Amino acid sequence: MVIAEIKPFGEIKNLLKKYKKILVAGCGSCVTVCLSGGKKQVELLASALRTARKIEGDDVVVGEKVIPRQCEPKFVDMIKDEASQYEVILSMGCGAGVQEIAERLNSIPVLPALDTRFIGSANEEGEFLEMCAACGECILALTGGICPVARCPKGLLNGPCGGTKNGKCEVSQDIPCAWVMIYERMKELGRLDDLKKVIGAKDWSKSQRPGRYNVKKEEAETVKKG
Amino acid sequence: MHTAMPPCQGACPIHTDVRGYVSAIARGDVETAIGIIRQVNPFPSVCGRICIRACESVCRRAQIDEPISIAALKRFAADQTKDFKSSYKRVPFFQEKAAIIGGGPSGLTTAHDLTLLGYNVTVFEAHKELGGMLSRGIPEYRLPKSAVKADIDFILSMGIEVKTGMVLGRDFSIDELLKDYQAVFLALGSERSVFPKCKGIEMPGIITAVEFLKQVSEGHRPYLGESVVVVGGGHTAIDAARTCIRLGSHDVTVIYRRTVKEMPAGKGEVEEAEHEGVKFKFLTAPVEFIGNGKVEKVRCVKMQLSHASGSKRQSFLPVKDSEFDINTDAVILAIGYNPKTDSIEEVEIISGKKGTIVVKDELGTTNIKGVFAGGDVVSGPQSVIHAIASGKKAADAIHRYLRNLPPKEIVEPVVLRPLDERIVSLIIKAVRQKMPMLPTEERIKSFKEVQLGFNWDQAVSEAQRCLNCGAGAVISEDCAACFNCVLVCPYGVPTAGEEKAQIDISQCQACGICAAECPASAIDVKLETREVGRKKLKKAVDDAKKEELKDFTINFYCQYEQPTGPSEKKKGTYTVGKPCMARVSVYQLIQPFEEGSKAVEIRKCGHEKDCRFKGCEKWIIKHIESAQKMLKDIGIDADSVKVIYEDDK
Repeated sequence: MVIAEIKPFGEIKNLLKKYKKILVAGCGSCVTVCLSGGKKQVELLASALRTARKIEGDDVVVGEKVIPRQCEPKFVDMIKDEASQYEVILSMGCGAGVQEIAERLNSIPVLPALDTRFIGSANEEGEFLEMCAACGECILALTGGICPVARCPKGLLNGPCGGTKNGKCEVSQDIPCAWVMIYERMKELGRLDDLKKVIGAKDWSKSQRPGRYNVKKEEAETVKKG
Repeated sequence: MHTAMPPCQGACPIHTDVRGYVSAIARGDVETAIGIIRQVNPFPSVCGRICIRACESVCRRAQIDEPISIAALKRFAADQTKDFKSSYKRVPFFQEKAAIIGGGPSGLTTAHDLTLLGYNVTVFEAHKELGGMLSRGIPEYRLPKSAVKADIDFILSMGIEVKTGMVLGRDFSIDELLKDYQAVFLALGSERSVFPKCKGIEMPGIITAVEFLKQVSEGHRPYLGESVVVVGGGHTAIDAARTCIRLGSHDVTVIYRRTVKEMPAGKGEVEEAEHEGVKFKFLTAPVEFIGNGKVEKVRCVKMQLSHASGSKRQSFLPVKDSEFDINTDAVILAIGYNPKTDSIEEVEIISGKKGTIVVKDELGTTNIKGVFAGGDVVSGPQSVIHAIASGKKAADAIHRYLRNLPPKEIVEPVVLRPLDERIVSLIIKAVRQKMPMLPTEERIKSFKEVQLGFNWDQAVSEAQRCLNCGAGAVISEDCAACFNCVLVCPYGVPTAGEEKAQIDISQCQACGICAAECPASAIDVKLETREVGRKKLKKAVDDAKKEELKDFTINFYCQYEQPTGPSEKKKGTYTVGKPCMARVSVYQLIQPFEEGSKAVEIRKCGHEKDCRFKGCEKWIIKHIESAQKMLKDIGIDADSVKVIYEDDK
C-alpha cells in the first residue's frame, strides 16, 4: 500500500490562494486506509479551507469528491464533467493519483494535498512503516521475508554495519536494525546457515526510473489483433 | 442480518417497533413515541396496562439485569399524549363497505385498519358499550374505563360508524349484511363461561366471573358475603377475587388445580392479589358444591402432578382420599370461556367443537365468500394483543379480497441472537424502575387504578436502559478495509472479513465510535444516522443564524445524561444532543465555524450518572485535540473548541 500524509494546512492554503472554485478530490484506496485522503479527510479539509478563506474575507466554493482509485483512468474520467466546473483540483491521492488526474483533466491545474511517503503497511499500533523500496529485484527469499533494502537506512545486503546496538539502528533508536531482525527470523526458521551465503551485487538498473511494466500493453495488443 | 428484528419486536404478535418508541421516550419525545405505537396498535392505553408483554420476556437487557419495563413505557406514552388534539378523520377512498360484528379489541382493530386503508366501515355491537371484555371483563383498578375510552374514542374519531345494541341473529343476519356490505368480519368474542362438571353447580350463590365482573363494570356493587371461593387460575379469576376484596369480602380464596407456575395470570398478579389479602390454594380442584338452598361449602380434592408415561404435557390428577371442605358464602367460577355462536347456527358457517368458528387460513377466511372471522371467536379466549393481531390480519385479508390482490406472504421474522457473555460483561448495569403503586390500604377500599404509572424521570430513565438492539453500526460498500473499526471498538465487535470489515449487528452496542473514526465514512449507526446528526447540527446553526446574532455557540450535550437537553438555556448558545459525546466527530467540531459560530462546546458527561459506554472519554478528548489543532492551523483560537464542566454555568 502507498503511504502518504497530509501536507501542513498552511502549505495547502498557500497553494490554493488564487483560486475561488476548488474541488477537493479524495481517493478510496491506499490513502483512505492510511487515514490521509479518504472521505472523512476530504470533508474535514474542505470545511477547514472554507473557514480559513472566510476569515480572510474571501468567498470560495469548495466541492468534495471521492474517487474509488485516483490512479485508475476510468475512475478519473467519471468525474471529468463535474471537475471541469472548478478552477483547481486539490488531489488527496498519492503522487500517482495527482498525476493521473492532471493528465486526464489537462486544462485544469491539479495540486497535491498529500506528501507521498513510501510503500508500507500498518503495524499493530496503527503506525505505517516502509516495507518495500520497489528496487525491482526482490531478495526477500534470502532474508527471511524482511527487506534490508527498504528497512536498513544504508540498504546493506550482507549483514549489519557497525552502528547496530542492542537491536537498534544508529540512525534512530526508533528504527530496529533490519539485520538483527533478519538474523532472529532466520534463526526461527532454522536457516542461519543460509546467511553465510553472500548476496551478490544487485542489478540496480531494474530500479531505474521511470519504471515501466508492460503486461497491460501486451493485453491491449492482443485485443487489437482480435 | 441487518434487517433482523430486536427480540421484543419479534415476540410482539403485531411486531410493534418497541425499540423505536422506547428510544423516543428516552429523548423525552412522547409524541413520536405514540406515533410509532399507533402505526400498528390502536389500543396503546389498554396494552400499556394489561398486555401479556411477550416483549419483556425476551428482552436482552435481562441478560445484564432486568428487562425493560416496556408496557409501562407504552402506557406512559399513551397517558402523556391523551390530550393531544388533532384531526384523525379519514375520508373513504374506496366504494366498498365493510361490516364488523363485535366491538371488542379484534373488531375495532379491523375497523381501524380498514378505515386507514380507505374503506367505509360500520361496527355492529350487541351491547350498549363498545370494548368487549375490555369494558366488561376487566376491573377498573387494573384497566380504568377512561383508558379504554381513550383508545376507542381515538379509533372512532377516524370516522367509523357504530351501531350498538344490534344483536346478530336477532336484529340482523349475515345474509342481510352481505347485501349492503361487500365484506363482513365476525369478531364475536368468547364470553360464555365454562362450568366445571360438579354436583350442585346449579345452586344459588354460584356465579360466573364474567357475570360478576360485568355487574361491577355496570356500576353495581354486589356483596357476595364474608367468604368467597374463586375457582380458576387465569386473569379473570384473580380479577374476580381482588374485586371481592374491594366489595368488602374478607375471606377470599382462589383455588387452582395446578401450581403457580402453570397459572396463566402470572406471579406478579398473584403477588399483588396476596398483598390485598387474597388467599391461594394451589393443586386444589372442586368436586362438589354443598349447601342448603344456597351454596355453603365447596368440597375439594388435592391434586398432584401425574407422572404417567407417554404424555408430554404435564397433567394433574386427584390424590385419592384427599377430599376436604371449604366453608363459603359464594362461589365464583372462572375456569374458562367459549364463544357464544348460537346466533349464527342457522348460517352455514363451519363451527368448531366449543362454539368457535373454523377458518380456512391464518387470515380468517371462512367458508362463506366475503365473510371473515377472527379474535377470540376463532382462537378461544386469548390476550388482548392476540385479538389485535387477529384484527390486523383480518383487515389486510379483507383489503386483499376486496381489491383482488394476492394473499400476503407470511414471513417469520428473523430475530437478533442473544448477547455474547463477553459483551454482557462490558455493559453497565441499570436498575429497572419500580412501578409506583396505590398503597394497599387504599386499594382494597376502592376501584382506583392500582398501578399509578411512571413519572417523567422514571419513564426517561427506564427508556434509557434499552440497549437499542439492532440499531448499531452498519458498514457500506465504501469500506476500504482499513480495519480501523476493529482497532477502536470498545466492545471488540468489528472483525476483519475476507474483503471488508464486518460488524455483527446483534452484538453492536451502537456507541458509534467506529463511525466517527472510519476514514471512508463507510460506517453509519442506525440509532442516529450521519444524516440525522447533520440535520440536527444544521438546525442549531440555522436557528442561530435566524436570530442574526454576531456571536453564537454550539453546545453538544449527551442525550443519555440529559435526555431533554440542558436545563439552563444560555442566550446565544444552541444545543445539539448526541447519543454519546464520542459521536461528535472532528468535522462536527470544526464545521460550525464555517457557519460563523464563535465557539463550540462539549458538555462534560458522566456527571449525573456513569457513562453508558466504557472508555468513551478518550475518544472525546482525541476529537477535541484534533479539532483544536485544526482550528489553530485555520487561524482561530484553539480554545474556541472546549469541554465545559457543570461548574462553568
